Amino acid sequence: MLLEIHNLSVEFESMQDRVKALQAVSFSIDEGEIVGIVGESGSGKSVTALSILGLLEKNAHISTGSISYKGKNLLSLSKKDWQSLRGKEIGMVFQEPMTALHPTMRIGDQLAEVIHRHRSISYKEAYRQAVASLAEVQINDPELVARKYPFELSGGMRQRVVIALAMSAPPDLLIADEPTTALDVTIQHEVLKLMQELAQKRGTSIMLITHDLGVVAQVCQRVVVMYAGEVVETGTTQEVLHSPCHPYTKALIGALPDLAEQGQPLLAIPGESPDLRNRPDGCVFAPRCSCSLPICREDHPVLEPAVSGSLTHQVSCWGRNQ
Amino acid sequence: MNPLLAVNGVSKEYTKGNHRFQAVSGVDFAITRGETFGLIGESGSGKSTLGKMVTGLEPPTSGTITYEGNSLWNGNRFNRLKPGEMQIVFQDPQSSLDPRMRVQAIITEPLLALPAAERKEKGSKERLLALITRVGLKPDHLNRYPHEFSGGQRQRIAIARALITDPSFVVLDEPTSALDVSVQANVLNLLQELKRERNLTYLFISHNMAVIRYMCDRMAVMQKGRIVEIGHVNDIFVNPVDSYTKTLLSSLPQLHEKKEDIHV
Ligand SMILES: Nc1ncnc2c1ncn2[C@@H]1O[C@H](COP(=O)(O)OP(=O)(O)OP(=O)(O)O)[C@@H](O)[C@H]1O
Ligand SMILES: Nc1ncnc2c1ncn2[C@@H]1O[C@H](COP(=O)(O)OP(=O)(O)OP(=O)(O)O)[C@@H](O)[C@H]1O
Ligand code: SF4
Ligand SMILES: [Mg+2]
Ligand SMILES: [Mg+2]
Repeated sequence: MLLEIHNLSVEFESMQDRVKALQAVSFSIDEGEIVGIVGESGSGKSVTALSILGLLEKNAHISTGSISYKGKNLLSLSKKDWQSLRGKEIGMVFQEPMTALHPTMRIGDQLAEVIHRHRSISYKEAYRQAVASLAEVQINDPELVARKYPFELSGGMRQRVVIALAMSAPPDLLIADEPTTALDVTIQHEVLKLMQELAQKRGTSIMLITHDLGVVAQVCQRVVVMYAGEVVETGTTQEVLHSPCHPYTKALIGALPDLAEQGQPLLAIPGESPDLRNRPDGCVFAPRCSCSLPICREDHPVLEPAVSGSLTHQVSCWGRNQ
Repeated sequence: MNPLLAVNGVSKEYTKGNHRFQAVSGVDFAITRGETFGLIGESGSGKSTLGKMVTGLEPPTSGTITYEGNSLWNGNRFNRLKPGEMQIVFQDPQSSLDPRMRVQAIITEPLLALPAAERKEKGSKERLLALITRVGLKPDHLNRYPHEFSGGQRQRIAIARALITDPSFVVLDEPTSALDVSVQANVLNLLQELKRERNLTYLFISHNMAVIRYMCDRMAVMQKGRIVEIGHVNDIFVNPVDSYTKTLLSSLPQLHEKKEDIHV
């Protein structure tokens, strides 16, 4: 395994309280594998990504767990080692593209600089490749766009520049946080194809955070479903999307808007997401679950095979055999 | 009926040194009060630029934009409307949330432009709490800073901020693109309810055809700064004329198949 997260818990401390954002999260990513992370807004997807990168904010506290990358525990790395790992081996596409772009540097130069640093070629050649990489992410008129500053680009163009940036120094592990939210389906399709090629040709592993189950269906081999800071279901894409087992996963699939009729309210999952300051003793989904059992509010379920003997499909739910 | 908003022959050219870039070219459309007008189109086709020209953030290079019959732009000067009348939810929520302000101050900031009595009424604690609950945030979130939130939570803070003044017209630029389907459903339902309750008018920008179809009465499709197709949502979905619209639509049946697949 390239990456193994084991029992990871993260808390944010503030003056008033303590937000338990991640609770005993475990999953792994193999070489060349594309793993989708899906889950409700606020469920801990980005916090998981930032933990791997060592970029959690100062008020964060890792209370349990380990993150092993190529066999070393990242949590015991020095700041400097972590930084060099981020530059060379682990790449990131952030959820908010502006955070990754230098505001006063032209797009072409930002890309060319990274390419120049990573391959032993002249700056001029690096710039030529930078323009080519913009074309690869379907940017029209790449020569012109290369001369622009970030604020002169549209939202979707910025998002693609950041993807081009992450791919221009191909990492061993790419963490992409909602990389295609601003893109229409046709462009999204091309961008996802590029990622797939990166995984297949170069063996790059990709952790793809997305709320779009269509994206998962297109490129991911496996899926991790998160709810309120916990992994509630995991399995191959086929298993999770076609035979979902956890009531949250089922509800998520049922809330897809594409079949909704105009004028009819869309199906949302009733109730609110739990208060992360006071996590319940039992199942975190119990207050919103339509099939909860007496044990659900008392005991916390753990990940177990969804069907007996399954090594891939795991679910954390007392009702899994019902 | 007189339109609430009328955009006539509007173009936008960005100039830099002796470089000119035409972001929007001769766009015409009108929105009636109580209508939701959708804008969909290629990335970089000028949708956000149009939203900014309508809300006073970028002056058009040529053409006129009128609101209730009055011209919004006088050269490069924006003729201010009644405060709070028109609001915008930006595509990139991060840029619109001041990192040094607490969420409560961020959401209530647009009220500062209102007369004292109105400010007090609209800024009441009950109203604020009701609003944040409807966008799926919690009362204790009000004391936090933007960096303490997830991407989707920040997007919902921006939506609450736009709705606090009880506007008549709202530009929503990809308002739910960062949200999972269930939270998206809540936000879209809220927008529909507000529209019914208060006869709100929306300019709704999205790249998601399913969301446009669900939300909008009429729509325009943009490509390279121009409107290539405009009409009632149902007509365009049943009978698209433009080839780019057809490509966008061809993505929808796939979703249907996938969904049916999932259910077997
Ligand atoms: N610095 C922080 N201080 C306090 N709480 C935080 C901080 N960062 C994140 N959180 C909380 O941790 C939880 C998980 O956040 P995270 O950003 O991982 O969500 P997410 O799954 O990425 O959601 P989204 O899909 O909306 O981006 C949220 O409830 C958020 O409010
Ligand atoms: N301040 C600016 N200066 C120069 N060019 C700009 C500026 N703002 C936008 N543009 C250009 O205008 C065009 C239209 O941008 P706009 O943001 O309106 O696109 P959009 O349709 O909203 O795209 P997206 O779906 O990607 O958000 C783009 O080519 C962009 O590069
Ligand atoms: S453990 Fe119980 S409450 Fe939790 S998801 Fe399963 S059935 Fe529902
Ligand atoms: Mg996130
Ligand atoms: Mg835009």
